[in-house]
Amino acid sequence: MIKFDKVGKTYPNGTVALKEVSLEINQGEFVAIIGLSGAGKSTLIKLINKMHGVTKGTLTVNDTVVNAELKGKHLRAFRRRIGMVFQSFNLIGRTSVIRNVLAARVAEMNFIQSLFGLYSKDDKIKALEALDKVGILEKAYTRAEQLSGGQQQRVALARTIAQDPSIILADEPVASLDPITANQVMKDFARVNKDLNMTVIANMHHVDMALKYAKRVIGIRDGVIVYDGPSSEVNESLLKEIYGRDITDEDIMFKDDEEQQA
Amino acid sequence: MKNNKPNPLTLLGRRLKNTSRKLTFRPKEAATPASADGATMNAAPLLSDKIKTTINKLTVQTKNVRTYTLFDGTTVLEPFSKTPLIFLILGTLSVISWNVTNINLFYLFSRFSNFFDILWRMTSPRWSYFSTAIGPMLDTIQMSFLGSLIGALLALPVAFLSASNITKNRFVLGSTRFMLSLIRTLPVLVYAAILTLAFGFGVFAGTIAIILFTFGILSKMMYENIETVDLGAYGAIEATGASKPKAFVTAIFPQIMPSYLSYSLYSFEINIRYAAILGYVGAGGIGLLFDDRMAWRRYQDVAILIIMLFVVVFTIENISRYLRKRLS
Repeated sequence: MIKFDKVGKTYPNGTVALKEVSLEINQGEFVAIIGLSGAGKSTLIKLINKMHGVTKGTLTVNDTVVNAELKGKHLRAFRRRIGMVFQSFNLIGRTSVIRNVLAARVAEMNFIQSLFGLYSKDDKIKALEALDKVGILEKAYTRAEQLSGGQQQRVALARTIAQDPSIILADEPVASLDPITANQVMKDFARVNKDLNMTVIANMHHVDMALKYAKRVIGIRDGVIVYDGPSSEVNESLLKEIYGRDITDEDIMFKDDEEQQA
Repeated sequence: MKNNKPNPLTLLGRRLKNTSRKLTFRPKEAATPASADGATMNAAPLLSDKIKTTINKLTVQTKNVRTYTLFDGTTVLEPFSKTPLIFLILGTLSVISWNVTNINLFYLFSRFSNFFDILWRMTSPRWSYFSTAIGPMLDTIQMSFLGSLIGALLALPVAFLSASNITKNRFVLGSTRFMLSLIRTLPVLVYAAILTLAFGFGVFAGTIAIILFTFGILSKMMYENIETVDLGAYGAIEATGASKPKAFVTAIFPQIMPSYLSYSLYSFEINIRYAAILGYVGAGGIGLLFDDRMAWRRYQDVAILIIMLFVVVFTIENISRYLRKRLS
């Protein structure tokens, strides 16, 4: 369980990213965070695995208090239980897909093993299974840089699954993908969430996709939560509050593709 | 959010200033598309004013320019070229160094026959000398191979410590870089001369000298290389809870490996040539024989040494070039 208790974040340059945020996320939830660029979505996610430190309030993740004292060995052990998927995929381009997935096991190995890439048979099977779950097992021995964007994001998701986390953080996971691929990748996220009971917390630019795949939506505006509830109850006036203006059909760029697919 | 919203006008002005150094476009009538559009009428006068003042400044700054007029009347100003100035500086420096080093052309031509005389004596090599020279030649190859290998292996962790995008601790960064600069200041021959005092004459001192040299240049080349790699994957592996060194070997190694191997092979090539002269200061290898045979004016033997060195350097250079081609 993730618990934000009056959490605030001010960056060293004085920018207040989060004012005061209180929320609870239970194990196995699929949460989408929506809001304008700069509203604090990214900050909220990055506080959870302490890529940024909390400056106010208390953040508890799986019974661990994420504060300044969590560092070094303890921080690394804490991070092993939290996966992260990035907008830019962040794969190691020059190596094979399976090695990219295996990279998630490095944290559990000793230095010499990681230096020479000596992965155990169990790890390899785990990696292959993760690739199978996102449907690109046949690409296991292809170089990662040869894959398309959607495939690369799936490899990134497989890497996260192989890490065996209880929480997956996704920072704009589909923002650099085309609409159709983005939908496929979101389906993978939804499946992983359901089948493996991993909590998924994703920052989303695309409101329609956030509403379609996440069961719970958190709307942030200027560092404050303005909506937290089921995605089914999000309506136009709520979106107006989150984004500060009407959301028109023009903003929802995937509507046409959806209808075509259906 | 509200505070650091940049003013679009100043942004445009800044961009204009930056690009105008290379090329300046001056429309005959400052009719920007914005001013024709009624909706943006308010911004238009400001915008064109900004452009005008920028252009005025530039025309004052760069006087010696050629002007090209395009078909539609747009004029393009070519900025002043710095090339003549650079030639002038180079010319002056050459004249000064010529005078300082006392190069005497007459002396050069009058003594040139001596050079051919020695060359002539080398044309009849004493082939039996080969059996004596083969041992030291192998020493030379070993010295340079082992020195390059150990130097290259040591260079990687130090490159990790001195890459500013990986190591954030300024003290570590500063001290490793300072150490590397110190190591690079001395030429390999000076190292060899000093090391023979410490470890005695022979191959061992030569190997250490080559290790130091290889380590010095390779770690610099590699940390500069590491600073250009994409850190996305590194950050992602770190986010899985892996330590920095582990994330480095997993995510950065595959990216830098080709250039690392290529640089290492290249320094092996260079080191063979260095290893050949280390014997002059007593650090073992074929240089010892060079020194000895030259002193005794046994040019037939020197010829053998030169032929051997030529064959070895040529072979290693070609193998290395082939391997480096395969890597890229």
